[in-house]
Amino acid sequence: MENEYAHALAEMIEKGMSPAKAVGELHKTLLAHGREALLPRIGRAFARIAARKRLKSELRLTVATEGDARQAEREAKATLTDLDVDSADLETVVDGSLIGGWRLEGRERLVDASYKKYLLDIYHRATGAV
Amino acid sequence: MDAATVQKIVREIEKFVPATESEHVGRVVSVGDGVVAIDGLSKAVMGEIVHFEENKGKKLADAMKDGGAIQGLILNLEEDGVMAAVLGDTARVQEGMTVKSTGKILEVASGDELLGRVVNALGEPIDGKGPFKKPTMMPVERQASGVIDRQSVSVPLQTGIKAIDAMIPIGRGQRELIIGDRGTGKTTVAIDTILNQKNEPKERRPICIYVAIGQKESKTARITQQLREAGALEYSIIVDAPASAPAALQFLAPFAGVAIGEYFMDAGRDVLIVYDDLSKQAVAYRQLSLLLRRPPGREAYPGDIFYLHSRLLERSARLSEEKGGGSITALPIIETQEGDVSGYIPTNVISITDGQMFLITDLFNKGIRPAIDVGISVSRVGSAAQTKAMKAVAGGIKLELAQFRELEAFMQFASDLDKETADRIESGRRMVEVLKQKNGAPIPLEKQVAAIYAANQKFFLAVPVGKVTAVEQLFVDFLDAQHKKTLDEIKKSAQLSDESKKDLNKAMEEFRLAHPEHFASK
Repeated sequence: MENEYAHALAEMIEKGMSPAKAVGELHKTLLAHGREALLPRIGRAFARIAARKRLKSELRLTVATEGDARQAEREAKATLTDLDVDSADLETVVDGSLIGGWRLEGRERLVDASYKKYLLDIYHRATGAV
Repeated sequence: MDAATVQKIVREIEKFVPATESEHVGRVVSVGDGVVAIDGLSKAVMGEIVHFEENKGKKLADAMKDGGAIQGLILNLEEDGVMAAVLGDTARVQEGMTVKSTGKILEVASGDELLGRVVNALGEPIDGKGPFKKPTMMPVERQASGVIDRQSVSVPLQTGIKAIDAMIPIGRGQRELIIGDRGTGKTTVAIDTILNQKNEPKERRPICIYVAIGQKESKTARITQQLREAGALEYSIIVDAPASAPAALQFLAPFAGVAIGEYFMDAGRDVLIVYDDLSKQAVAYRQLSLLLRRPPGREAYPGDIFYLHSRLLERSARLSEEKGGGSITALPIIETQEGDVSGYIPTNVISITDGQMFLITDLFNKGIRPAIDVGISVSRVGSAAQTKAMKAVAGGIKLELAQFRELEAFMQFASDLDKETADRIESGRRMVEVLKQKNGAPIPLEKQVAAIYAANQKFFLAVPVGKVTAVEQLFVDFLDAQHKKTLDEIKKSAQLSDESKKDLNKAMEEFRLAHPEHFASK
């Protein structure tokens, strides 16, 4: 039940209603139906939905070292153009386990151009592992 | 790492071309009991295989140590994401993990190199004999052959079990259900049928696939050993989804088995597949469906439980000559509770199949084995495939046994019976004895025909009931030794000619003279 209310709240806000007004409207509806006690659970469900939405729109560029970021952005440009994303919207993260290269992930897309992936591919092909 | 692997890696590096293709991905939001909820993957399709990315954040050395990729099978498409069953160790899947779409539906390895091997529900070898070299991949889900591609059942599939071959004959391409309570010999009937295929000439011998679903590993190991010892493993494949396997694999195993079989059928060969058992598959599918939050129906089974079995069993067929003339004969097994055949799953499968053989606990306990209740067992299409020789001798057995069962009930009350009734009872008793058979000892067609012919000629009427089975065995051995030509003639022509009948009559006379001690009392 709380998920449905949370979805409705999210939709109201997305359509341009101010958060304060949307919550007020929701509160009124809950009072009218005698479901005021649901409010804290609706709050938690809303937080979950918001987190999922944020994750969906997030675009993360992972590089092995900070110094690789610029080159990685240059190389990832084609994908960014496809996704209609300005490189300023990118969140850049450093992950030493990549060894080198870069990895772009988000909006249901993954481009892995890291050395780790290349090396693992070679290893798997050589050893016959899937 | 050995030198050969290093060499291979060097070669791979030399010819390596880095690819930076964009992959379609999602993210695991929850994991539990073999089922995962995934956010994203909006372009995924039903039944698609996904890969869980375990290596994220791991160092290269650790990533190299990981076993094969963990796969998932998409079973629900939802508004915000998808739900998938994990085909492997769920403990390796974690929340937040990246899930890659493959764009492929599940396939299993098939081909001649699978013969004699034991594989899991994903077609991977689990018998320690190493990977397959050049398997052909077959889709696990495939549309069953259409009407135009099929022909009717007309070639017999000999089970080697007298009661079945005589009264419930099975044809190649048929689906004959084996149903009964636990411990009534369902698996034995199926395994004996596999063993009997050794009696078939190599070119006509069907490939046998035994699919173990939710069985004890010890039972599957015993069956494998039995097949190996009998030399039957060389034309058999075992697909094993034991009780310890995840529900998803138990649900998939029969589909994997039939997919393997379809490779041979498409190549124009005959296949016999045993699903042991579909009740356990239904339970695994129920578990999976409930975890996927699909609405439960009767006995908490999902609404598509009938479709699960019908789409599986419809893949058994006999293809037309234009399509190569191959076939898949299915022997699904269903376990009943307390003999209740009116349960949900039993009635579903009864209605799908082309006949059923009921195994009854009472008969089993009376020592009548195989414990088939011939009164309620039926083969709807098999009679068209029965050999002329068997038809000639088996015609009246079912009626004779039905009359015997009726009279047997009266016999307990009546003190004196007229001669005709008494004769019928005596003859019925002996027929029951003739139809008894040890497990693991299938009998070739010509010997079955000879034994039943002798029984029809009241040959055993003078033999005490308790000795009939032994005398029958002696008689068959006598025929094998002294009248091999007659048996060979029946085998070759699959007919019982007047000449053969004369020979058999002569053989019976000779046997009676040679062994008068067995015919002493009446």
